[in-house]
Amino acid sequence: MRSRRPPFLWLLNKECRELIVSRAWWVLLLAMGPLVGVSFISAVRTYGEVSGLNGTSAGVGEALSPLIGVWAPTFSACELAAVFLLPFVAIRLVAGDRQSGALKLELQQGMSTFARITAKGIVLLAGWAVAMLPPVIAIVLWKSYGGTVYAPEVFTLAVGHLLNAGLTIGLAAAMSSFTEHPSTAAILTLSVTVGTWIVNFFGAVQGGWWERAAGYTPAAMVAEFQHGLLRLDTSLVAVLLIVAGLGLSAIWMRLGMTPARRTYESIALCGAAAVGIAACTLLTPSWDLSESRANSFPEADEMALRQIHAPLAIEAHLAPEDPRRLDLEHHALSKLRRVIPAAQVRYVSSTSIGLFEQTRAGYGEIWYNLGGKKSMSRMTTAEGVLEEIYGLAGIKPPVENDEKEFRGHPLAVPAAGAGPIFYAAWPGLVLVCGMFARRRFR
Amino acid sequence: MLFEVQGLSKRFGQIAALSEVNFQVRPGEVLGLIGPNGAGKSTLFECLAGVLPWDSGKMHAALGRTELLFYVPDGIAPWPSQSVGWALDFTCGFLRGKRELREEVIDQLDLRGLLRQPIGTLSKGQRKRALLAIGLLTPQAALLIDEPFEGLDLRQAREIAAALRVHAARGRTLFLSIHQISDAARFCDRFVLLSGGRVCGEGTVAELAALASTSSNDLEEVFLALT
Repeated sequence: MRSRRPPFLWLLNKECRELIVSRAWWVLLLAMGPLVGVSFISAVRTYGEVSGLNGTSAGVGEALSPLIGVWAPTFSACELAAVFLLPFVAIRLVAGDRQSGALKLELQQGMSTFARITAKGIVLLAGWAVAMLPPVIAIVLWKSYGGTVYAPEVFTLAVGHLLNAGLTIGLAAAMSSFTEHPSTAAILTLSVTVGTWIVNFFGAVQGGWWERAAGYTPAAMVAEFQHGLLRLDTSLVAVLLIVAGLGLSAIWMRLGMTPARRTYESIALCGAAAVGIAACTLLTPSWDLSESRANSFPEADEMALRQIHAPLAIEAHLAPEDPRRLDLEHHALSKLRRVIPAAQVRYVSSTSIGLFEQTRAGYGEIWYNLGGKKSMSRMTTAEGVLEEIYGLAGIKPPVENDEKEFRGHPLAVPAAGAGPIFYAAWPGLVLVCGMFARRRFR
Repeated sequence: MLFEVQGLSKRFGQIAALSEVNFQVRPGEVLGLIGPNGAGKSTLFECLAGVLPWDSGKMHAALGRTELLFYVPDGIAPWPSQSVGWALDFTCGFLRGKRELREEVIDQLDLRGLLRQPIGTLSKGQRKRALLAIGLLTPQAALLIDEPFEGLDLRQAREIAAALRVHAARGRTLFLSIHQISDAARFCDRFVLLSGGRVCGEGTVAELAALASTSSNDLEEVFLALT
């Protein structure tokens, strides 16, 4: 008499049990409460202080967006947990089988290692979803204070952190299968994470290709989601990297294959992933799901810009670390690229900080070339950039519609009840559930 | 013949763990893989089970590997946080084991008192019994067990030998790696003698004695003569 339940479900059941008895997962859950709590309480306090200024005056509206003021800092606890705690949960689940010898038994079942790693990935993502409960509690608390929740932007943020967790899981799984010992896997996983931070640093200092590569690091990806921006290329690159990490893990889990064959298969997989990633970077669709349209020009400006069909090239003589370049990029050009994906932007500088280029003739100039017509400006604001483009295109700037401008949702309330919930109730609940579940699932 | 191994070789860097290993396994027999520590017994089993790649050689069998054999390694503690009872259920479910044998195997290996015990907390002998139970529940035609009597006292070893005999009598082929030649001599029908990664002989004690040109029917004497 054989079991009717498919082997994959048995495997899922086993992985769930292994997750539940894993101390690393309970530590992750335990830490999430205070981490989210301290971020949420501090964000609500700051939000309240800004709201106390009765600020709906110009410039304050954006600051009073719950996405930027509350959810981005609150969910940043997830980023911290994904970098420093989740890898250990993933390594425990993937490397544990090899360490205990269970892998030698399970491999003889004949199930594909890709199916095996899929089961682990599903369970780890489910485990991460449970760890995301404290931010959900924060949303409920915020609603109870009378705060507004704009679902699309919170959803975008949650997707960003889910993808970030997926990247950690993919990376940790690959490292766990490459290495003989979990501690080596942990060191390598953290090394890769630190490596992405170095890429970010070089991107900020060097610009150019480093800057482009830095746009696809987990930290940069999360930063975009924190602003309510859902980019197809970034999301697909993240998914590809997750699949590649899990695929590498599956390849190196096949103990019966020669290392040479596993190496060739890994190279082929990495090659395919690289081609896929390169293709994804060509995709331009993106969606600004923030309530404040923080990543977009006003709708009237976007409509006006869409009328322009001549090729647009912008050459900015600004160094990578020059604050004006950051202003230009974040407040104008990133929004412009979303409307005119074909716009060519080139930065020109001889140094990284630009401090010693200030006296050079031409430094700070931003040249616009629209279908052969040229103009120069030094303004780095969105309004300044739009003015130059409209001037070259011969378009009358659209009239500003004050009614459509995002005014924010001021809310001056204390984070009542958040402290006891995140610092006492959640950890207590986790401890009780942990003790019960670890006993129950043995 | 259940399966035949021809010219199997395996190297770990400069060290030849297995060199041109040839032997046959017959259906329903209890075959002993005899050799001192470091002879390559575990390596041979791992290669046959597909959890270690071999460099050259072939295995001929009518069945695919997943239907043909199941290997129980020595010295592992699989799923250390899970209970023995769960491990047996998982074997019946995931490894497609024979659920109808579950209770019988539990009694044969005296595991009833350990069913709720996490595997990681078991003693060496208890863990060995749990591993044997997992192996005995699996459905494959041949069961390869690495050191089945390791860590067991004399009484337990005899009880387990009896249990294994019951399963062998039902037609299950047992291929046991044993470094204690006296244990092997008591229990196995035929033997494959392995030394330094090479097969020094294959057959019954009488066949091996003939091969060694000795009149002794003592397996230890025959083994020493052939290695």
